[in-house]
Amino acid sequence: MKQQKKDGEAVTTSTSSQKKSSPAQLRIMKDLNELNLPKTCSTDFPDPDDLLNFKLVISPDEGFYRNGRFVFNFRVGANYPHEPPKVKCETQVYHPNIDLEGNVCLNILREDWKPVLTINSIVYGLQYLFLEPNPEDPLNKEAADVLQSNRRLFETNVSKAMRGGYVGSVYFERCLK
Amino acid sequence: MKFKIKSWNSVAIWKWLANDDKCGICRAPFDGCCSDCKIPGDDCPLVWGVCSHCFHMHCIMKWLAAQQNQICPMCRQDWALKSDLP
Repeated sequence: MKQQKKDGEAVTTSTSSQKKSSPAQLRIMKDLNELNLPKTCSTDFPDPDDLLNFKLVISPDEGFYRNGRFVFNFRVGANYPHEPPKVKCETQVYHPNIDLEGNVCLNILREDWKPVLTINSIVYGLQYLFLEPNPEDPLNKEAADVLQSNRRLFETNVSKAMRGGYVGSVYFERCLK
Repeated sequence: MKFKIKSWNSVAIWKWLANDDKCGICRAPFDGCCSDCKIPGDDCPLVWGVCSHCFHMHCIMKWLAAQQNQICPMCRQDWALKSDLP
């Protein structure tokens, strides 16, 4: 009631019964409404009332990572879209641009972020990482070196990791669909 | 027939003349306001860059304030306000 009184003079276009959303929430709602997921991707909202924290599952249907299933956690901060969401890979993956802690090296998640980009742009960026791992500027240098020097061995290592097993001294959990 | 006008109400509509219908930063319609404002109109105006891209003034100011390089978030060209409006 108090809130209503305070807002009494202001003209709002939305209906008054809604709780006021933050700018980040308003923007993420628009992003999610316009989300156009490729058929290899799906989203999951552990708390349906919290649009700022969700998961994206990518199951590539071609390339080195075909048949794998990779889960990314998105945390959208209060400063969105002026700052990019924090995205971490929760599935351990043998990938030049994703380290073993789940940090992801994707330009638009860091230096090339701009507020006109959307969640959709990030989804496509992440999907692209699985189709075209980029051995330049790597986070997992070992994987990058192998990709550059011996594509066949890289392919073998990726399958080994996805089936669950050791690549070098690192154990990977199974992540096949 | 004669009649006397006792009172009258004038009605006007307005809209921003932008080359798009939504602000690329907040994604709200230009004829609405940025997500920090409540009343559309002169208090939440649009601005144009020389690159021809257009945003809510509050949205682009917030973006530029956080950046070292003053570039347009749409095209990455140097951002400068366009002074001669259409």
